[in-house]
Formats: sequence, C-alpha cells, structure tokens
Amino acid sequence: MAIKRLFVANRGEIAVRILRTAKALGIETVLGVSAADRDSMGAQMATRAVVLGPAPSAKSYLDVNLVVHAAKATGCDALHPGYGFLSEKPILSKMCAEEGIIFVGPRAETIESLGDKLGGRAMARAAGVQTVPGTDHIATLQDAKAAARELGYPVVMKASAGGGGRGMFKAIDEAALDASFDRASREALAAFGDSRLYMERFVERARHVEVQIVGDGEGKVIHFGERDCTVQRRYQKLIEEAPASAVPADTRRRLHEAAVRLTSHARYRNAGTVEFLYDVDRDDFYFIEVNSRIQVEHPVTEETTGLDLIALQLRVAAGEGLGLEQHDVRVAGHAIEIRVNAEDPARDYAPSPGRITEWSAPTGPGVRLDTHACAGYLVPPFYDSMIGKLIVSGADRAQALDRLKAAIDSFRLTGPKTTLPLAAFIVSHPDFRDNRITTRWLEDLGPFESARSSAHGAH
Amino acid sequence: MKGRTEDITTLIELFRSSGWDEMHIEIDGLQLFLSTDPAARLGAGTMALPASEPRSVPQAAAIASEVSAKPAAAAIEIPGHWIAITAPNLGTFYRSPKPGAAPFVEVGQTVEASSDVCLLEVMKLFTTVKAGHKGTIRRVCVNDADMVEHAQTLFYIDPS
Repeated sequence: MAIKRLFVANRGEIAVRILRTAKALGIETVLGVSAADRDSMGAQMATRAVVLGPAPSAKSYLDVNLVVHAAKATGCDALHPGYGFLSEKPILSKMCAEEGIIFVGPRAETIESLGDKLGGRAMARAAGVQTVPGTDHIATLQDAKAAARELGYPVVMKASAGGGGRGMFKAIDEAALDASFDRASREALAAFGDSRLYMERFVERARHVEVQIVGDGEGKVIHFGERDCTVQRRYQKLIEEAPASAVPADTRRRLHEAAVRLTSHARYRNAGTVEFLYDVDRDDFYFIEVNSRIQVEHPVTEETTGLDLIALQLRVAAGEGLGLEQHDVRVAGHAIEIRVNAEDPARDYAPSPGRITEWSAPTGPGVRLDTHACAGYLVPPFYDSMIGKLIVSGADRAQALDRLKAAIDSFRLTGPKTTLPLAAFIVSHPDFRDNRITTRWLEDLGPFESARSSAHGAH
Repeated sequence: MKGRTEDITTLIELFRSSGWDEMHIEIDGLQLFLSTDPAARLGAGTMALPASEPRSVPQAAAIASEVSAKPAAAAIEIPGHWIAITAPNLGTFYRSPKPGAAPFVEVGQTVEASSDVCLLEVMKLFTTVKAGHKGTIRRVCVNDADMVEHAQTLFYIDPS
C-alpha cells in the first residue's frame, strides 16, 4: 500500500470504521478530533489523535484549513474524509491535491459537477440515464393535455418559480387536469408572481434504490449491487438493506448498468452511490443524484459481497487500481442495517444526548455492530445523533429479519433515548416483513406512539 | 529526596514498555504525569472507561512518539497560582513575528493582558495570541515551529 500515514477527518462510528481498515492494512493513522472527542474510541484506536479545536464543528471538523494543516503537520500522506462534514466539499479535495496529500475521494471538479443538482442531471442525460420525465414551461391547457398524454398519468404540475412543495397540483387523469390547470396558474401567479408551470410524471408509490460503485479514476467502474433505503423519515434513512429484493431482478440489472454508465462517463474515482427513485407501479427508475463519498449504509453491501469498501477506497485513491473485475463481485445472502440514533421517537425524534449507563450489544451469527459508543460514553450534544449501526445478515431476507428482530430485542442500552424501539416496531410490522412499503410509508403511519399502539390493538 | 531522579527514570522506562496511554502518580508532594499524547495534560478530563474496554495496542506508543518526536512528557510541578496561556486551535507555534526576529516574549519578562506572546499559523494564515493576563512569563512550553493542538499550554504566567 502506497499510503503510509492516513489522516482521518471525521468522528464517531465512521472514524472507528476507517481506522480499523487502516490498521489491518498496516497504515499508521492520525485522527483529528474536537475537544469533545479527545477521549473517544477513535482517539484511543488511532496511532495518534490531535485536537483541532473546540467542540463546535465549525471550529473543528468543518474548518478545512485546520484539517489540512493538521494532516500536513503530522506527516500524513493521505486523508480520508468519511461522510458528512467536509467529505463532499470540493475545496478539501483541491487543497489536499495542492499539498501533495492523497485525497480519499473524487477530484474536486468531479465533486463540484456532481454536487450541483442540475449538473448531476446533465451528466445523467449525457450518459443516457433517465431522470424523472418532465416538460419545459407549459402555457396552455391544450399543451398540458398533450404533455400529460405523453408522460402518462398521474402527473404533477409545478410552479416554475416555486419550490419546497408549494404550488404543486397532482392530476390523476385528464378530467382532473381540466379542473385544476387554470387554478394552478392563478395560484402560481399569486404565490410567486409568475404563472408559468411545468409538468412531471408523478410517482405515486416510490422506493429509494441506490447502486454502490467504485471507480478507479481512469474510467473503469465496478458495481457492488444495490441497496434499498425506502424506510425514511423526512428524507432521513432509517433502515437500509441489500439486495433490493422488492425490485425485479431484470430491473436491478438495468439499474446497475445505468449507474456504471453514468459514473464511468465521469471517469469517477472513489466509492460512490448512484441514487434512484424506483417507480413501483411502472417498474421504472429515475436518477436522483450521485453521492461522492462512502455512505452510512455501506456495511450492508460489505456483508452481501464480503468486500471491504474502505480498503477499496484507499486502493483507488493511492492509484493502485481496483484489483478486481466485475465478475469477481458476487452478491450472496441478505443484510439489513438499522441506525441507532440518540433520539426520542416518542417526542418527535428530539435529540437525546447524555451518558450511556448500560450498553450490552447483541452478538450471534450474522450480527455486526459499527459503533463508537460503549458503557460510560457521553453522547455529546454537538453532532449528529447516530451512535451506532446494527447490521444483521442471513441466507435470505426472512432469516436476516428474524436475526435482526432477536438482536434488537437483546440490545440493552440505557441512558439516552434511542430509536431502537422504533426499529423493533418497523421490523415486526407486516408491511415491512412483506416488503410492500414506499418512501412515504413511515410518515403515513403518523406519530410513533400512536402508530405503535394502533398496531398493538390490531393484533 | 535522594534517589528521586533514578526513581523517575525507572518509572518512565516502565511506562514506555507498558503499552499504557497515561500514568499519573502522586507521592510526598511529587506529581508525575506521563502520557503518549503530547497534548495530554494533567486532569484534562480523561474519561473513565470500563475495564473491558479495549485500549490502544502497545505499538501505539512507539509510533506516537515517532510521529510527534515527543515521547512521554513528564510534567514537573507547576505552582498553583501560575496561569496557562493555551492555544485556541491547532496550528504551528512561532515565538517571533518573523524569521530571525527577536521572540515576542522571554522567560522573566513582564507582560500586559494585551501583549502579543506568539503567532499561530494555519495554512499560512497567522493569528497572534495575547497573554490574556498581566504577569511574568515563567515558562515557554513549546519549541518554535512545533505543531500545537487546541488547548495545549504554550506559556505559564505568574500573575503575582
């Protein structure tokens, strides 16, 4: 391995995860921490930990000058940004390149073009990958009808000047379009001072499906199968699994091809995730965006492929290539990850920092826990509330689910309130077991406590 | 006390070969604090971990000292009324306003709260650190051009 000393510019479980692989590869590590994390598990594991600044992220983890200075001053030849924080800031990649430090991520220009929504969509189109079908401005009802016939109902009318869901009208058929078109224009004018509308296909029942890829930066890209992250709350993923067994195998193959086509076109370097919206009723998918970093949910892919994605990231960053071909990647079994957040589901998921007084983690066949927490650990109030990820795998989805349920039940964790009861509720829910959920499923159930008590009442 | 130096040397050697991260001993008014972390300070709030928690492996000490070129730092007694001037963030410590110039302060020099005591450089951006207290500089704790961490002690001031 060309990398001798790696700077880890992150905290929490992902810092621990990166340090573990670096250690296994014989790479020395320096972890940059905030004052709040100086005694963290990562700080103990790293060859050396340096305190960047005080607890607030803006003065420590998010200060790109501090991070690069620390990497340089400690003699590191590479830097891993983890996820979140500075991981998708082009400036970090750029500064590392200028200082001769290997950035474990894409080139700055790649991050920049992918980070911009429109740029990402343009890249997708150039690679022949479809985005949600839609129109340019539509002026008249006649044009709207013609466009809707072409797109297929249901459709959604959106105000060109709008955003955040305002000024949107859904039409399930031509009669509904007739009834709402004029009103939509008038309301767009009233709300945004601009009556112009455009139209998109409306995805009634959507699933979030994403493809894990790794590119070597020379145009070679390999995929590692897909993940299904449909259980979400306010666009926050809560449960992720691989493979996406609710999607037909043939469609999954087309997803993989689209992801590889798009990223090899961009000569992508690093691990990356190509996110798609899967339309259940039409059995079709639309490109959303590329995440140019390692993702929280990468372990379900590792568990179903037997590969170490962090090690692959380090390899391609060091210019050593992927070291494997597409036919070497075999997906076997099923893996599910639940995120354990220090949040109170009964109080609208309010953050619940504090001292962990009891921590007895589940063990057993197929059980993996990625965490930086332990008994006695103080969950600081300054950062993301995730304190761990429980990843359980089995020969198939049913076995993985049974093991997961048992693992959650045996997890003894006291101190902060956590999302473990929510995870227990979801994995036991018939809709989840039968895999007939959509991205809106969890929110449609309503507040957690009432959803749980009505589910109990029903049985 | 006769033999104290030998005792301390022996303790440092024991610590080096132990694979421990930190050691803190108090005997007859002598405090000895040893750490593999050059930024570690006595009483800096080391978290009490359960005994089962895996600690860093012995080799860490060796690499840490190589990385930092600063092995087990022994802190000799600092009078309680001295005040530490600490680094606001990680950076490179410079004692002089520019290369070759005289240092901002020397040991024994009196300073005002508003006096500049050193420069801290982060990616070629220089900020001055102020004394923060009126008093006499008693100790300079960092070598010129060394990297310092957030909250690391740079100087001690005697305010009396």
